[in-house]
This record gives sequence, C-alpha cells and structure tokens, in this order.
Amino acid sequence: MAEMEASLLEIIKEHAVGLTGELSRDTPIADLGIDSFSVVEIIYEVEEKLGVEVPFNANENPFGEMSSVGDLIDALNKLIKN
Amino acid sequence: MGAVTPLGATVADFWSGLSTGRSAIVRREFTAADKYSLTLPVAPVDGLEERIKGLGVSLMRADRFSQLAVLAAEEAVAQSGIAFDEETGARTACIIGTGIGGQSTFDDGYVAMLCRERRPHPLTILKVIPNAAASHVSIKYGVRGPSFAVSSACATGAHAIGVCAELIKSGAADAGIAGASEAILCYGALEAWKAMHILASETCRPFSKNRNGLVIGEGAGVLMLEEEEHAKKRGANILCRLAGFGMNADGKDMINPDVNGASGAMKLALKGVKIKDSAAVYINAHGTGTLLNDPTETRAIRSVFGADADKLIVSSTKSMHGHLLGAAGGIETIAAILALQNGVAPPTANYDVPDPECDLDYAPNNAKERDLDVALSNSFAFGGLNAVVAFEKV
Repeated sequence: MAEMEASLLEIIKEHAVGLTGELSRDTPIADLGIDSFSVVEIIYEVEEKLGVEVPFNANENPFGEMSSVGDLIDALNKLIKN
Repeated sequence: MGAVTPLGATVADFWSGLSTGRSAIVRREFTAADKYSLTLPVAPVDGLEERIKGLGVSLMRADRFSQLAVLAAEEAVAQSGIAFDEETGARTACIIGTGIGGQSTFDDGYVAMLCRERRPHPLTILKVIPNAAASHVSIKYGVRGPSFAVSSACATGAHAIGVCAELIKSGAADAGIAGASEAILCYGALEAWKAMHILASETCRPFSKNRNGLVIGEGAGVLMLEEEEHAKKRGANILCRLAGFGMNADGKDMINPDVNGASGAMKLALKGVKIKDSAAVYINAHGTGTLLNDPTETRAIRSVFGADADKLIVSSTKSMHGHLLGAAGGIETIAAILALQNGVAPPTANYDVPDPECDLDYAPNNAKERDLDVALSNSFAFGGLNAVVAFEKV
C-alpha cells in the first residue's frame, strides 16, 4: 500500500507543473497548477506505469470534491483494479 | 432534405423512429487485426450495402463517411426537384462537413502497415481527407459553386448549414447542398473515445439524474438550401424557412461548456425571429447526456427565454439516434424541421430519474403533439464552438 502511494505521488508530482514546494498528501490540489483533464492524464500514466486498470466514468463524478492530494490518492486507490 | 441515420436511412424512416420514441442504440463488438476487440453501446446504420453498390465504383471505393453523405444528398436533391445544368451547377454551393473524415480508412491503413506489414490502400489519402464527401457530392451533381468542408466537432453539421446559408445570402450562390457526415464506428476511433472516459455504460439518458455519458452514432444529414425568390420562381416545394443562425465560441475550455457561449449562440439565432408564443417553440437540444452539458444547456435556455422557458418543449433526440458527432447538426436540424412540419416534438427517450438541475419540459419518453411555429437545433461542441440554427414554419 505504501509502495502504491509512493508511486502515485511520484506520478502526480510529474504533472504538478505549478508546484513550487514539496509534494505530500497534505498539499492542496489548488497548488498543483493542474486542470480537470490533468486527472485523466494522471490516471492514464498510472495505468501505463503501474500496469493496473483504473475504470471510471467521468459523468459519475468519481473525483467529487477533492481539496488535497491525499483526497486524490484515496479516490485513485478506490478505483484501481489489479 | 436527406437523412441516413441509425433510426432510419431515409427521412421518412427517421421520422417514424423519432416520433415513436424508438431507440437505435445497441451493444456491438468492434475488432481489429483479428486480435483486438471492444464491445460497447453504439448507434450504427445497418443494411446499406445495396444502396452503396448503387452509387457506382467511384463511391464504392470511398470512405464510409463519403458514402453516407452522398446517400443523404441523393434524397435531398431528389426531393428538391432541382436539376443541375451548366448554369444552376455554377450557382450552387456544396458544403459538407465532418468531424474527423475518413476514420475507418485510417484504422485500416494502420492495421495494414503495423500489424500486417503491408502498404495502405493506394487511395488512402483521397479517402481520408475531410473534404472527400463535399467533393464526391459536387462531382455527382456537377455542382461547381463554392464547395468545401467545415469542421467543428459536434457543431460541424450546424456550421455547414449556417455557412452555406451565408454564402447564399451574400449572393455567392443561389442554392446549396449543405450538411455533414460521420462514420467512426471502428475499433481505433472507439478505443480513443473510450479512453476519454465519457461514454455511457448502457444507453444515452439526456437530462436524467442517472445519465452517464455519450453513445456514439454514425450517419449523414443533408439539406438543400435555396434563396427564397429563386425557390418560389421555380415552384419549389418549400419545407420551411431557415430563419436564423447563431455561431460563437466559449473561449474558455476544450471540454467543459460555458453557459454564456450557449445562450449567446441561441440569442444570435433568434435575432429577427418573431416568437408569438414560446409554447409554439421546439428546441432540439445538444443534450449529449454528459454530466455537464445537460444542466449547462438547461441554464442557457432559461437565460434566453426567461419565465417562458417552462412553456418550451426541449428534447434530445441523441437519446434515440446517438451522438453523430460532426453529423449531429446535419440530422438534428432535420429532426427540428420534421417536428415543425408534423406538429409533433420527438421525445427524450430513456428518461429515467429526474434531475433537479434539469427542469424543463423534455418530452420524456413520449412524443408530444404541439402546434409549432419555430424550431431550434442546438450544437455545443468540444473546444467551445457553438452553432444554433432556427427554422420557421412557412
């Protein structure tokens, strides 16, 4: 689990073009400088790099209200199929 | 008008499907290279083999999107009664749009090259280019006025019709064959759509709380547009008046629609259209069944019509024929005209759980009889490009 979380943080960090400090679970998503489609791109990379499937339908709003990176990681973990 | 749609490959069959609220959405498998497979709900047009053979050898080797366009144009031209001679040919435009052009030719080409290490078909370039449909139609009828393709994703069909109307208004042409075609029901394109994570899991439920996305369809819709005096002089059977056309861009986001863009386009289309009673107005909505389009479009309609919005009938026929992408405006304008002519608003099919954010009269599941004077066709595309066409009964 810790390994998965570390990998997810790594991938999110690569997409966080607006981030100036360190990235942790507590980092606010607003600080990452990403837009709503970045989440879809992050998921694409998670699937490619970690060899998992992350099925979701954007119309079902699986990412609801997320304020921190931790919220995003938790949402991703819920969706990941091994 | 001419229509090749999942609900029927003629205007009459299209109307029969629309007015009875039939769904043309089916689960179908798509494969490539005898190895890859994808199954999902789509809205296909089946059974066209004989009609396509009848188009002759030049079109038999064209991409499907060109074939569908020519079949629709055939019906439109025949119904219009226009005979193209040297003179009329030179004064007729041909604007046939497409979202992406010869997609299945691309798919076949890549499979040939990457999986079978063969060359692509020698006519690949001529098949994929987005103007192929416009060219084939122009060649078939000897139409030699301004002719080209337009492309604006889901707004393409509406833009093609509007641009052709402007050409006629400007005097560059007296008449025009205008519409759009899309045929992307092939493995590669559908995998790309699936990768966006916005396709519906089972069916298209515009405006329902439990909607969950698009269902892709294929087809073509073509109108014969004509300058009014020109049409009257030759005793044409005039179906309706193209009373207004609104086009603008959101200038905001590649995916998420903007209420101001949508309402602005509708207001532009309605400029100069006299609405005596909003109860006699039908809106064929963009209504894709995505999370964001449906409430945004609802708010935009309310912002245009104010308190009268509750009198309108607004329905999404994508619930029945799917999202024809570039060709959506081509067939949905026809659906709007048919509603006007028949005094019947087609329903929003598959309507299930009401959504408090979508609170107009969507004619849920059953067509509604209503004496209609004005019909709008809305198209709000990816990339924030909007086009709305307004028709008036004559």
